[in-house]
Amino acid sequence: MKLPSFFGSRRKRLKSRIVSRILSHFALIVATLFALFPIYFIFWTSILKIQLAAISLSSLIPNLALITLYNYNYVLSDPTFFTIYLKNSLIFGLSAAGVGLVLALFTGYALSRFTFPGRKPFIYFIIALMQFPGTMLVIPYFFMFKELNLINTYLGLIIPYSAGSIVFTGILVKNYIDSIPEDLEEAALVDGETKTGAFTKVIIPLIKPILGLGVLLAFIGPYTDFILARAFITGNSLQTLALRLYSVSSISSSGGAAIDYGVFSAFSFLMGIPILIIYLIFQKYIISGLTLGGVKG
Amino acid sequence: MAHIEEKPFLFRLKREWPAYLYLLPMLVVLLLLTIYPISLTFYYSLTFNGPLPAPGIPPNTYVGLRNYNIIGTSDLPLTETLIMNSFFWATASIVIFIAVGLGLAAILNQPLRGKTVYRTLLLFPWAMPAFITILTWSNMLNFNFGIINAILGLFSIPPVQWTTGGFWAVWGGLLLMNTWLSFPYYMVVFLAAMQSIPKDLYESAEIDGASILYRFTHITVPYIGSTVGFVALMGWLFTFNNFYPIYLVTAGGPGNLTSIFVVRVFQEAFERSHYSLAATYTVIDFIIMLFVAIPAIKYTRLSEGWFK
Repeated sequence: MKLPSFFGSRRKRLKSRIVSRILSHFALIVATLFALFPIYFIFWTSILKIQLAAISLSSLIPNLALITLYNYNYVLSDPTFFTIYLKNSLIFGLSAAGVGLVLALFTGYALSRFTFPGRKPFIYFIIALMQFPGTMLVIPYFFMFKELNLINTYLGLIIPYSAGSIVFTGILVKNYIDSIPEDLEEAALVDGETKTGAFTKVIIPLIKPILGLGVLLAFIGPYTDFILARAFITGNSLQTLALRLYSVSSISSSGGAAIDYGVFSAFSFLMGIPILIIYLIFQKYIISGLTLGGVKG
Repeated sequence: MAHIEEKPFLFRLKREWPAYLYLLPMLVVLLLLTIYPISLTFYYSLTFNGPLPAPGIPPNTYVGLRNYNIIGTSDLPLTETLIMNSFFWATASIVIFIAVGLGLAAILNQPLRGKTVYRTLLLFPWAMPAFITILTWSNMLNFNFGIINAILGLFSIPPVQWTTGGFWAVWGGLLLMNTWLSFPYYMVVFLAAMQSIPKDLYESAEIDGASILYRFTHITVPYIGSTVGFVALMGWLFTFNNFYPIYLVTAGGPGNLTSIFVVRVFQEAFERSHYSLAATYTVIDFIIMLFVAIPAIKYTRLSEGWFK
């Protein structure tokens, strides 16, 4: 008596499971198309012979006959791409990531492993300071650095860039160290390590995931910064990729007839390569760092 | 570590003093590059430093609350617009991020073929630098040549004036772009939180015949509620002052339709050289941020992790 009804409900459940699976795939495919379309769009237009005015949906369909390297040639044939723009952006990005990360490492360790007097008010104070919109620091910086004659110099940009990410990465590192059991360091101390030794030999190897994420974030900020660069850089020799890309894109959107959209796309792609390299180097660490840093909160 | 906090001050100082050494570099940076500039901003808001020296006022003189008077009286409509726009921009963005992020995370949290492939591909927008992708979106939203209007044409929808049109067109375009920029992060964080929920909870609920919706509201939400709340708060605070999406696409226009504090401040300072007015708007913005952030952090358990 019971068997048929049980059998029926199971069949029904199987059916609803198939329906929900189809719906899930449908939603994921729509989301993936949405996520990938702009990226595909930059990539494809960067190797496309057609000018923006003539871009239609049909020209977005991959077609070998339309492929050209003209846009890349155009960007790369200008030696200043390497000698000015790329060089400066790399100098700013790498030095800021290096300095900022070392500072964040010390900060995160102190906040995670010590209960020094004043710790709690200090954290509150940092949280309050974090609410000051970072973008707007550019105004007082502008006058401060003018006073010090640091406008339009490497140092004048590297200093604020390094400081820019320190609070955020410091908290990331702190949250991550919190998740590491203290027994590990205690064991090292018992083995005769100093506290500094325990820090360098136990903690640093264990927090690589978050350092990977920290490097990427601390690099991308200055590497793609427009605000500070726009306000501080006046001469030709310090120009960065971001400033150049901005001017390429505004030429292309205001010109109307002379739109060189492919050049914009090719420039974007070339500019993205160093980030891609960092992302690939730290990929394993970045995904686990991202999820751990977020969930801890 | 709570037991150490109850010990006398001197005992803690003696034991924990190396922390100050580790913190020293950070303290110097904070003092010189955060605290001092913030104080300067407050000071600038009390001086006059604009493009046209007002009659009888030489530049850089102390003028008391004159700037606050200006933005509270003659500039009041603009100030109100900036406040409303910043709140709208942050709130609407976060509601969409949370909805899309939770939805996709819930879908990815079930046994499904190819879900790691989906997850990797969906993370792409986050991995691309925002500055580049925002400029790309700006071109894609172009009225005449933009590919988005071309796609709409495929469905016989007339072209939309994404950067020059009315309220829904312009905000709609900005929110669509902002969703693209941010949803991967929310999705990944929520997915990680969901994966920490014990599987047998779902299994027993399913055996009891609980629907998907019931399982979501009675198991998933209570488990990941604090993560969602924390991420939403941080995302809101970030979006409130997110400069690039609006500056690069609409620059606050048309008119002041999409003008928010950060964008206006940058324009006042570096396009109109009206530094003191920019500083005044910055102070107002900072006070709003503190009013939202401090109670939210103090009276909820959202950020306990920071104090552990």
